[in-house]
Amino acid sequence: MNDSDQEDTSRRKFIRVATISASAACGLFPLAAGIPALLDPVTKSFGNAGNVPWSKVAPFVSLPEDGTPAKFEVVQEKVVDAWTTYKDVPVGAVYLTRREKDVVAFNLKCPHLGCAIDFRKQSNDYFCPCHNSSFALDGSITTENSPSPRPMDTMETKVEDGYVWIRFQHFRPNIPEKTPLS
Amino acid sequence: MKVIFDWLDDRSGYRNLLHEVLYEKVPGGARWRYVWGSCLTFAFFTQVVTGTLLWMFYSPSAQTAWESVYFLQYQVWGGWFLRGVHHYMAQAMIVLLVLHLMQVVIDGAYRAPRELNFWFGALMMGVTLALSLTGYLLPWDQKGYWATAVATNLMAEVPWIGPAIQKIVVGGVEYGHHTLTRFFALHAGVLPAMLVGLVVIHIYLFRKHGIHVKEPRPKRDSYFWPDQILKDAIACLAILLAVVGLTLYFRGAPLGPPADPANEFPARPEWYFLFLFQLLKYVPAFWGAVIIPAFLVLWIFAQPFIGATRPGHQLNIGFWWTLIAGSIALTLLAFAEDRANLRHAAAIEEAGWQADRVLSIVEDQGIPPAGAVTLLRKDPENRGRNLFAAHCASCHRYNGHDGRGYPVTDEQSAPELAGFASVEWITKLLTHKHYISAEYFGGTAFKDGTMARKVLAKYTPEETALLPDIARLLSDMAELPYQEALDDEERDELLALFYNDDSVFQDGLACIECHDIDSEEEGHAPDLTGYGSNEWTVAFIKNPEEERFYGDENDRMPCYGRDAKLTDEEIQILSNWIRAKPAE
Repeated sequence: MNDSDQEDTSRRKFIRVATISASAACGLFPLAAGIPALLDPVTKSFGNAGNVPWSKVAPFVSLPEDGTPAKFEVVQEKVVDAWTTYKDVPVGAVYLTRREKDVVAFNLKCPHLGCAIDFRKQSNDYFCPCHNSSFALDGSITTENSPSPRPMDTMETKVEDGYVWIRFQHFRPNIPEKTPLS
Repeated sequence: MKVIFDWLDDRSGYRNLLHEVLYEKVPGGARWRYVWGSCLTFAFFTQVVTGTLLWMFYSPSAQTAWESVYFLQYQVWGGWFLRGVHHYMAQAMIVLLVLHLMQVVIDGAYRAPRELNFWFGALMMGVTLALSLTGYLLPWDQKGYWATAVATNLMAEVPWIGPAIQKIVVGGVEYGHHTLTRFFALHAGVLPAMLVGLVVIHIYLFRKHGIHVKEPRPKRDSYFWPDQILKDAIACLAILLAVVGLTLYFRGAPLGPPADPANEFPARPEWYFLFLFQLLKYVPAFWGAVIIPAFLVLWIFAQPFIGATRPGHQLNIGFWWTLIAGSIALTLLAFAEDRANLRHAAAIEEAGWQADRVLSIVEDQGIPPAGAVTLLRKDPENRGRNLFAAHCASCHRYNGHDGRGYPVTDEQSAPELAGFASVEWITKLLTHKHYISAEYFGGTAFKDGTMARKVLAKYTPEETALLPDIARLLSDMAELPYQEALDDEERDELLALFYNDDSVFQDGLACIECHDIDSEEEGHAPDLTGYGSNEWTVAFIKNPEEERFYGDENDRMPCYGRDAKLTDEEIQILSNWIRAKPAE
């Protein structure tokens, strides 16, 4: 191989590398331009894990005195969905149970995969019709090999001026710990 | 690795295909003049990818289109960049289209046997322009809204079926949800799919006939890979850099205030349609919408045949150069006319103000489900300036304009109200020279009234020097939000001056002789108790003919409340607005 051949080979190699690099840059650029926007949701925290607002749910006297659960929807004063700010919209539902002067609240959503849990009057327990998890009135698991990894999700409540207030939250499904969604 | 590729090749035959694609012969060697087709393909590819990503954020409805674009632009990480790239690449694509077309025409590549491909190319140009037009509306801001109204009204010019076409495209007769869903379906579905199909046909036909070689050939023949591809890729990179540069420089694509049919905005298309816009000032809409496009279609169809002879080819080249030169001239004319038009500049500035304003309200309150446009419609600041422009500015001025920044053509015939009731404003009012000038009462009967002739004109220099103190007293009663209140001692001193307790003003020239403050008596000049305060201003706008104001000496000031020209709420908004800020 003489010098000019060698020069030609390295020139050709350079052209190939340059061409592939430039083409790859052009080809990948449009997608790259949108990657940050695409990944935007994982860079933000949602929900209100840090500062849960109190929502007024129902008059205390409307709860059965014998501790039978009653279902209520929870209306939040302000809800932001992407660009829209809603006022006074239902964000979920709870079972409220009277315990003397206090109230226990269970999220309607099953801690397993988020189906809506029923209260069964006959057997006086909670039952998830999706995957058959069942829970006692205190929210504890009653199924053997329960699909749900944890008891029903409770939330902070208070009774003020005759009304039940709640700090309503959703939690990460299908893990043993109760972790607020964020 | 080789085993996998061998298997893949055995089942798909991809190596042959790749070879076919890459080893296209380029007679006369790779040249820069051949890059435009690849550049356009790259631009279109960028639009498809960035457009699909934008799709993930866009919501086509009258209450969510602007809002979702706002969210992408200001709340999503890198959203402004993604949108900017799509916006500026669309503009680059138009420039590239013209370059590609001119290269084809000048090189004679449109002639036999490539006529069909030339026509397909022209069709693709039409589809690309339709993509621009439909994309312009999607952010649902004032600019897109008003410009699209013009564009769709042109459609109605087509004989017989025009009105039906317009109705189909708009989704009715009013612009709303269905205009957006249809434009979006066209922009993100129908038109790109058409363009993909046309690109395939275009490239197939291009391959069938091979590259049209411009003689003389500079070098020996080579192949598409890698020589021509390198040139293509470098050109694409240059475009990419230009687009990124524009995006960074302008910090993404603009987003005007939300579309509002009740909020006037001077409709202008995107810059590459400006020549058509300008043309419509000279020719009837029917020409712009039907005759000229029809002529162009026929002409483009005929060009390959006309170009078969040398003079015909020259004619074709001349035709396109003339068209381009004409378009540039019309575009420049359009820009120049807008620049010379003060109202246009004011309208653009006003739209800019509204865009900033709506952003600051959104930051403060969020966007209600009814959409961002309701924020501006309810905003007291925005309503105040608009009410002033509509009801006050034909006589009064605000910083010399109509409250929004528009120049007013009617002669000023009532006081300038920027900084109304401030110390500076009243001090000037109490100066004879200003009192009788157009800036205050020069355009009214009060110019020759008692106050002007028998009081202000008669003050000695010593008395004149006391007037700023009177101004401080009066202005204090206005309780303007941007001025500090006087302390009690100071107020008492100034009141003593007003009442002329120490007889510092000559007889007949003390304020108290005609005007009252805090007394039951009705002097014959306006009562100055609470002058310029919210209560005073509201009452004055409601009825300046009330006994405590001008009474029967009122000179043309309408009684907005008494005669139900404005509601109480509107008068309150006006009062707040007039009293909110010092003069500029």
